Amino acid sequence: MPFQAPAEGVLLPPYRVLDLTGPEGVFCGKLLADYGADVIKVEPPAGDTTRQRAPFVGDQPGPERSAYFLFYNTNKRSVTLDLETPRGRELFKKLATSADVIVESFPVGHMKSLGLDFDTLKADNPGLVMASVTPFGQTGPWKDYKSSDLISLAASGFMQITGDPDGPPLRQGNEQSHFPGSQYAAAAIMGALFYRDMQDGAGQYIDVSMQEAMITYYTDAHPALAWMQRGENVTRVGTNSTLVIPLGAYPCEDGWISAGIITPREWENLSQWMYEVTGNEEILNDDYKGGNQDRAPYNDIITALVMDFTTRFTSEELFHQGQERNLVFIPVNTVSDLLADPQLEASNFWFDLDHAEAGTLKYPLGVFDSEDVSPVTKAAPHLGQDNGDIYGGELGLSETELSSLRAQGVI
Amino acid sequence: MTSQSAPKKPLSGIRVLELGPYVALPLTGRILASLGAEVIKVETNKVLDEMNFIPAWSRGGGQPEFQRAKKRITIDVRTPDGLEVFKELVKVSDVFMTNFRRNILDRWGIDFPELRRLRPDIILMWQTGLGGIGPYYTYKSYGILVQHMGGVSLMSGEEGEPPATINTSYSDYHTGVFQPVAIMGALLRRKLTGQPATMESSIFKSGALTAGPAILDYQSNGRMPQRIGNRDPFAAPHGVYQCQGDDRWCAIAVQTEEQWSAFCRVIGSPDWCQEDTFSSLDSRLANQERLDELVGQWTADQTAEAVMTLLQDAGVPASVVSQGQDLHDSAHLKAREFYRPTPFYLADRSKPAYEWDGGEGIASAVPPKLSVSPMEFGSYSNIGEDNDYVFKELLGMSDADVTKFTENQSLY
Repeated sequence: MPFQAPAEGVLLPPYRVLDLTGPEGVFCGKLLADYGADVIKVEPPAGDTTRQRAPFVGDQPGPERSAYFLFYNTNKRSVTLDLETPRGRELFKKLATSADVIVESFPVGHMKSLGLDFDTLKADNPGLVMASVTPFGQTGPWKDYKSSDLISLAASGFMQITGDPDGPPLRQGNEQSHFPGSQYAAAAIMGALFYRDMQDGAGQYIDVSMQEAMITYYTDAHPALAWMQRGENVTRVGTNSTLVIPLGAYPCEDGWISAGIITPREWENLSQWMYEVTGNEEILNDDYKGGNQDRAPYNDIITALVMDFTTRFTSEELFHQGQERNLVFIPVNTVSDLLADPQLEASNFWFDLDHAEAGTLKYPLGVFDSEDVSPVTKAAPHLGQDNGDIYGGELGLSETELSSLRAQGVI
Repeated sequence: MTSQSAPKKPLSGIRVLELGPYVALPLTGRILASLGAEVIKVETNKVLDEMNFIPAWSRGGGQPEFQRAKKRITIDVRTPDGLEVFKELVKVSDVFMTNFRRNILDRWGIDFPELRRLRPDIILMWQTGLGGIGPYYTYKSYGILVQHMGGVSLMSGEEGEPPATINTSYSDYHTGVFQPVAIMGALLRRKLTGQPATMESSIFKSGALTAGPAILDYQSNGRMPQRIGNRDPFAAPHGVYQCQGDDRWCAIAVQTEEQWSAFCRVIGSPDWCQEDTFSSLDSRLANQERLDELVGQWTADQTAEAVMTLLQDAGVPASVVSQGQDLHDSAHLKAREFYRPTPFYLADRSKPAYEWDGGEGIASAVPPKLSVSPMEFGSYSNIGEDNDYVFKELLGMSDADVTKFTENQSLY
């Protein structure tokens, strides 16, 4: 594809991305599509399996109503294609010659078994960038290991530091494994396109391991370095951190509030405020002054004093009054709080997207707010909705050929 | 542009000016530097990044993760001379990125419209904790707390228990890896349209985005996300099971009937595997407590590694819950050259960085492996180590001026 300018108010050039991913890589295509790439989701004729995933809009099952599918496929187009058939693979090769990027997340070696590996595809498209997002990467003794969100959280060690020290390692509820590998893949794809189009470079292949990506998403705990330098295994700390004291979630009058006291000056401000409110002089103890690590020996007593303080306020009181004293108290929100949050509203985070079956819903698209560029605002595609435009209009297949492909179940 | 002889990297010829501490912004800088941009990191000995003092490792040991492959210089932008030198750097940069709030930037005299006058085509990436515009724009925040504000902690943890906290500022990393995508996009767009862009991002928005499908479920069905521990609506057995040793666990996720059959074979096809109560996903989900107990009995007297290997060899998803030692010693990560040796500097508040002692640690590679233009691990500079290059070679300042501004602590 020629190196084309983005449309007015759009960030990315309309790079064509063929998205063959499952949950491992689905967010990569979404991120590129939300900011203007032409991302085509290539689905099996029966539809991507996540179209069947609950919950559904209105709790009515249907391939166009899965909240999961709707969230992860905004701004993509959809074609159907059976890669298990020779004609399907032939058609995919044709599609691949029109693509800037292919992103896939099949088990290692699957694309090669179909004859659709990078070396084969680049023969007809030397500028092609192809990225694979897989649980453990393309090489190494664990490359063929089976995975899932839970397994990724375990293998990366994320679970080891989530939860209560007396309980089991815990999973995060937002399917955290969907993000790191996909985000790094998107960054690497942009780098590869930059290399191709700004430096006259070749196309290339990108191998992303979800395990590695996730390990780098908690580098401030850096368990491998902690083991190497201290012989200690970083572990779970419950609702309170050991990195910084006090830091964590504390009960308040109407639920939970989180707080983090990091600099020596913040401690001065907090201890003074706590003394004003509780009258307990203990908090002014000189032993507790200093940087965050200086309070480590007194974690238990300080946590108890902090809780005696926080339970006298509501979450909103601590959030706003804390800021007046240059202190960080942060509300513990749920999704309804997010939708009502004035800050997210003011910074153009939410966009209403219309979908023929799912109706109009607010989607979080605006991770960047800008007067110069905005996200694209198309809802997730219906299954195969772009077959005609892409196979007929763009690849030039005749109506007879399309009918034959449909009859054979290839598309 | 760069010289003909040096092999080109993806971001060769792009200069990025970075002003700000902690995780998200420096991570963005590291990724851009790994792709070949010249990232100039502005710091000052007078107010050190608290990330130098994270206690899980030796002080400063984690900084190579965030600052490597950059040119590190010292400028106190709060001084008049420092601010002038900073503005000279803006004039020769393609990108300026900062994570300070507007009230702080105002106090220092750093004003985005003025920066754009100094360098009309500059890309501006302005990242804060809670948002640079809107009602919380002056609010201070820390990334580790945004797991609470972004809605994730209330959906993590055991049913009926307090929200589970993750002992890391993981939302920071989401922001840190979003930003290079936007910056590279803006640079391409500038090339193609001649138009620069100013973009604002926040840890809060990055975290809230990951609340994901639950946001749509709430709007359309009024359903709040529930805490369900390690369970999953689409798989059973699904959880972590205690194994031999101190705090040793193996995660197991049986997602298909084929995997269930393989699981039963691996554990020796006990009679209970054949019971109707476990014959389908629905029945296994309905009887999870007993199922978890039975699986736990099988794992209890084995090592986590043995459980993982037996199951993976049969095609069943399983993994040790990795501890630091597992990651450090992992044959898989070694084969992929994930952790690499690096020097670091032992942070000490009592003296300037150039007097800090050196040490040897490890840092991770930036994960994606690009076949033609790999992410560079790069070298590691100490704070201020690249002052001479940046001030004298790049800006053409005289030796006398650099000495004077260093002595009056503007470039310090």
